[in-house]
Amino acid sequence: MFASKAIIDNLVGLNEPKVIELVRNALDEGVAAKEILNQGLIAGMDIVGEKMENEDMFIPEVLMAAKAMSSAIEILKPLLAEEDIRAMGKVIIGTVKGDLHDIGKNLVAMMVESAGFEVYDLGADILPDKFIQEIKEKDANILCMSALLTTTMPMMKNTIDALKESGFREQVKIMIGGAPVTQSFADEIGADGYAPDAGSAVKLAKELLQCNS
Amino acid sequence: MDLMGLSGGIYKPLSKEKIDTIHHASLTILEKIGFTYESGLDTTLDLLERAGINIDREHARIKFPQDLVTEQVSKAPERVMLYSRNDKDDLDLTENKVHLGTGGAAIKIIDLETGQARSTKLNDIYQIGRLVDKLDNIHFYLRPCIPTDIPESEYDVNMCYACLKSTGKHVMSGVNNEEGLHKVIEMASLIAGGKEKLQEKPFISIITSFAISPLKLDTQTTLIMQEAIRNKIPVALSSAPMSGSTSPMTMAGTLAQLHSEQLAGICICQLTNPGAPLLYGGIPGMANLKTMGYLGGGVECGMMNAAIHQLADYINVPNYNSSGLTDSKIPDTQAGWEKAITTLLAVMGGSNYIHHAAGMLESMIGVAYEQYVIDDEIIGMCCKVLKGIDVDEEHLALDVIESVGPGGNYMAAHHTMTHMRKEYFTGNGITDSKSRDKWEKQGSLDARTRGREIAKKILSEDEKSYISEEVDQAIRRKFDILL
Repeated sequence: MFASKAIIDNLVGLNEPKVIELVRNALDEGVAAKEILNQGLIAGMDIVGEKMENEDMFIPEVLMAAKAMSSAIEILKPLLAEEDIRAMGKVIIGTVKGDLHDIGKNLVAMMVESAGFEVYDLGADILPDKFIQEIKEKDANILCMSALLTTTMPMMKNTIDALKESGFREQVKIMIGGAPVTQSFADEIGADGYAPDAGSAVKLAKELLQCNS
Repeated sequence: MDLMGLSGGIYKPLSKEKIDTIHHASLTILEKIGFTYESGLDTTLDLLERAGINIDREHARIKFPQDLVTEQVSKAPERVMLYSRNDKDDLDLTENKVHLGTGGAAIKIIDLETGQARSTKLNDIYQIGRLVDKLDNIHFYLRPCIPTDIPESEYDVNMCYACLKSTGKHVMSGVNNEEGLHKVIEMASLIAGGKEKLQEKPFISIITSFAISPLKLDTQTTLIMQEAIRNKIPVALSSAPMSGSTSPMTMAGTLAQLHSEQLAGICICQLTNPGAPLLYGGIPGMANLKTMGYLGGGVECGMMNAAIHQLADYINVPNYNSSGLTDSKIPDTQAGWEKAITTLLAVMGGSNYIHHAAGMLESMIGVAYEQYVIDDEIIGMCCKVLKGIDVDEEHLALDVIESVGPGGNYMAAHHTMTHMRKEYFTGNGITDSKSRDKWEKQGSLDARTRGREIAKKILSEDEKSYISEEVDQAIRRKFDILL
């Protein structure tokens, strides 16, 4: 029996060396990389996300878990088929034009990535055209936009409008977040969803893609 | 986060000159004006007279020579240890070390289920004790309310029993007479495994409100006080004048009279049994001159309670006083500000044993379960102030600032992980800092409701008796236990 529980426990317990050791042991025992990823690492990060959402965990701890996850994925990567990596979806993420705040956005990127998504973080102060260009190039299926300032929130709507004009609106699910952002604002500007924190962002991303398929 | 016994002494409303002035005024009050008394204190008066104190039996007046007072007061211990039965909540009362807990003799409680005020019962003393046992920032358990559902003759033993059964923290209670005191000592001795063990590590102490302000000895309580002192059971010499009715309207006058009452009480105790442990028990208060009630929540209560600690510290006797009273009837915003301000001032002053600090409402008339949870949080935050700000290599974090570098962030730094749980106050869970979205999802609960839920959760846990089955049976054979 594959020791997925031990990987989950050590990931949640922030013991990176132990997680790496367990992943290597599992590979030595002949467990498939995909199985280790899905049943061990991603399952563990799901719990971390949940704990974060319930405020049972500090963000620095979440980051440590995400770091342990990335190190483990580095080991698994050469053994995973290309489609396994891409299976979850491709995410374009950035802070909208005029807004330089990126700590929350970085955290969402990290959490979404550690949940198995392929993430392209464009950074902060991103023009609508830049978002659209990346969506086209990377063939993305999720767009995440962040804004911390009430004055830059309208830029989220501008980006969505530009996306509609470009004809690529239907290709992506749009998620928005940031301290002043609310569900009703998301509804108002025609986004597909709003997440109040990084843990919920992962959940939301999964839900949105499930609806899609 | 262990926040018990930290040092205050950082808020000093009185300058050294003002302390001198008040202290000497108090000595003058005792020498020139003196104390009065009622019948029943013949033995006490004889003792005082033999020591050189002037007793005018015709006018019922006791006048204390200044030198004698100074000499007797110097015999009182500078440090009093009040013990717990849980190995972690022993109270080391000396200098500016701060401890806070419950208090009062409330007769109303806000029922946890109905939310309505009702009469307090013996079971409330037990249930509040269980709650206090689990709230880390409440350092001791002083009997908070009166068991109105049992006969008055059964109060002494039953109140103390309910406290001792419910918590391992130090228990302080009051008794109605010397017989009650003897019973309580006997019961506590059964728990301690002998009276000597109890005297060696007293896990109970007694409040003795010996003075009826202004300047009058209460016969019964003076006798209880002396008897406890003879038995080396620590006493708190409570006197609680209200400015405007039982002490002068002004703060300085109230402090001078109250300090003189304390000096007299300490004097009587030390003549009764030199070196016996006691707490200076001055509780300066204010009268509501529109109703003649007690104004518990005034900001001046906080100021005067910090000042009275300075006066106790001046004569090197650890002190018992009060904070956290409110005149509000419910745990509302007014209760919040009155409690926070008076407790912060008392804590920063450095009072050693601050009672009333948790649970009280409606001045001293009421208590509420959720209020203990709220006050645990307030006390914790106030005590956290005494921790101060560490400035050393580790806390300056220059190497971390360098390694993170300009434009980076500290969220993933090892230094953050090391310090995030201890640098800042973490409370009992009542403080809300969630996003509006999450708060709304969880029912948009206000602080009072959150406090009630935490109280309910703690009280729904398994009961733990701090009295062993065997001792419990021995106590029940000897005394009429009604819990």
